[in-house]
Amino acid sequence: MAADALLEVRNLSVRFATGDGPVYAVNDLDLEVRRGEVLGMVGESGSGKSQTWLAVMGLLAKNGRAEGSVCLGGKEILNLPQRALTRLRGDRMAMIFQDPMTAMNPFLTVGRQMTEVLEWHRHLSRREARARCVAALESVHISDAARRLSMYPHEFSGGMRQRVMIATALLTEPELLICDEPTTALDVTVQAQILALLDELRQRFGTAIVLVTHDLGVIAQLADRVTVMYAGRQVEQAEVHSLYGAYRHPYTEGLLRSVPRLDEPRSARLATIPGRPPDLASRPAGCPFEPRCAYVTEICRQQMPPLVSVGDAHLRACHYDGALGRLEPDA
Amino acid sequence: MSESALLEVRDLDVHFPVRGPGLLRPMLTLRAVDQVSFDVQPGEVLGVVGESGCGKSTLSRALLRLIPTTAGSVRLHGVELTTLDRAAMRPLRRSMQMVFQDPLASLDPRMTVGEIIAEPLKALLPRMGRAEREQRVLRTMQQVGLLPAQINRYPHEFSGGQAQRIGIARALVVEPELVVCDEPVSALDVSIKSQVINLLLDLRAELGLTYIFVAHDLATVRHIADRVMVLYLGRVMEITDRDALYARPLHPYTRLLLSAVPIPDPTIARRRRAAPSRDELPSPLALPSGCAFRTRCPLADARCVAERPILREIDGRYVACHHAEAAAA
Repeated sequence: MAADALLEVRNLSVRFATGDGPVYAVNDLDLEVRRGEVLGMVGESGSGKSQTWLAVMGLLAKNGRAEGSVCLGGKEILNLPQRALTRLRGDRMAMIFQDPMTAMNPFLTVGRQMTEVLEWHRHLSRREARARCVAALESVHISDAARRLSMYPHEFSGGMRQRVMIATALLTEPELLICDEPTTALDVTVQAQILALLDELRQRFGTAIVLVTHDLGVIAQLADRVTVMYAGRQVEQAEVHSLYGAYRHPYTEGLLRSVPRLDEPRSARLATIPGRPPDLASRPAGCPFEPRCAYVTEICRQQMPPLVSVGDAHLRACHYDGALGRLEPDA
Repeated sequence: MSESALLEVRDLDVHFPVRGPGLLRPMLTLRAVDQVSFDVQPGEVLGVVGESGCGKSTLSRALLRLIPTTAGSVRLHGVELTTLDRAAMRPLRRSMQMVFQDPLASLDPRMTVGEIIAEPLKALLPRMGRAEREQRVLRTMQQVGLLPAQINRYPHEFSGGQAQRIGIARALVVEPELVVCDEPVSALDVSIKSQVINLLLDLRAELGLTYIFVAHDLATVRHIADRVMVLYLGRVMEITDRDALYARPLHPYTRLLLSAVPIPDPTIARRRRAAPSRDELPSPLALPSGCAFRTRCPLADARCVAERPILREIDGRYVACHHAEAAAA
């Protein structure tokens, strides 16, 4: 384990009880977030990327159960009692979501929602809290901050609301900020602003950031390290340049090869990953990507490939040992 | 312009009355589509891009007369559509169909796949016999990659990508010439998106279709479109052939949009991480004078405040910018 690990996740599994039986959303997940780094987590819907971080934050839905271990600064935080969790959340770690509107109370002014955080976690007076909130809004480049505090969430644009959420999350100077699809609902020009802001805040405050998204372009811009999720499992993990330049998992190849890209010549057809993601209610004995994989061999159907090192802090979960590059635009 | 155009749109306005803010809540006019003109040639794919609020969805609905237009002209094969009543419009609906963004939300959950795809046939070709209708439904299902056995299934049994195939089949079953696709792949997962994009391109080649492809994702539009129209606050900023637009955008707004598209390559992504514009979209209820883009434009000057730029031709491209020559030089 790395000496500078801020958050260590060991053997994390998340399971949901449903009317149709259990759904295995996250399976045997091991990862760490280091101080001050940006860890990107990429995956499609149902890959377990959001549930992983909701479990870390203790925010799983009522029918969800998390097992394993999550340590923040060396102390176990998974399945803490509600009181202890409430003290931790929004203090040492905070989370922002795709749609800031649903994370805010539409009936309270932005100022009320922000000062509440400081009154609760830092026992500041309303007046002191207000001054800190003005400073926080200014740090996310919201002009005229004092006046904006008395406005309601609906009076802000989508990009401004996400700035307010980031400012609120940073009020207590958390060590870890988890961003779940923070720019997915925003226009590209606003997305670029929010990503630049996150990068600036990381450099200024040394906050570690987890960036959860389906968009490999967003990850490429900000992340130091990247982990790729498929069917509730990590399939590859590497430093950002080696993940994009020397990926070792067929699914990562598929994700990178099947998106239209502005930095490459236009091709007549896109490469595709055939089929669709698996049903999480069933637990195959073999690799979950096997039915869609271009490199499948007999062992892939029988044995789950473990996540192992392939050198240079590069991990992957795949039986196939040969060269990738087979994924061409299909005829 | 040309006599061969499949669709000709001239000075199209779509305005909505809305209540303004404040105590008196005065009636204001939202100009969702403002003086838009363009042609669509048979067999081409016209991409329509822009950020939220640019009017691209309103425009696509107005073209199909799903919402009323305020002024201007929309002609299909020379026939003016904006003055037709419902009954006169009906035979023309066979020629123009639409594919929507959210496949599951646009399919009736109580109808089977077969019923959903047959519905436009019943409405638009009521005299078609039952047997022929079923043949047509099955043939269309096969064209979009659905299995005949799925005809009695319900939409909720399908994944997003499969549901979008149903939406495409419903549009194609009446054999339209023009299909307006409004963000047809935006709601789909990465690994499914490319399957549906390839399908749309195959169908176009196979059936000789013409598409208006509306999307906010400029990389997807580059892949699928022959020409691209860029909208901003309801107005056309630029209409240009695909390769020219992506290689050398003439409008400052097109340049801003392209510079903001994330590139899935960390080396390039970090190199181009320049200071992005901090300004936000102006309210569509209080558009700036002159050029709509001037409040965010690095080239704006007094002329841009005073005078609205018209869409004009420069090197075979159409641009609405007073400073387009500077960019072209």
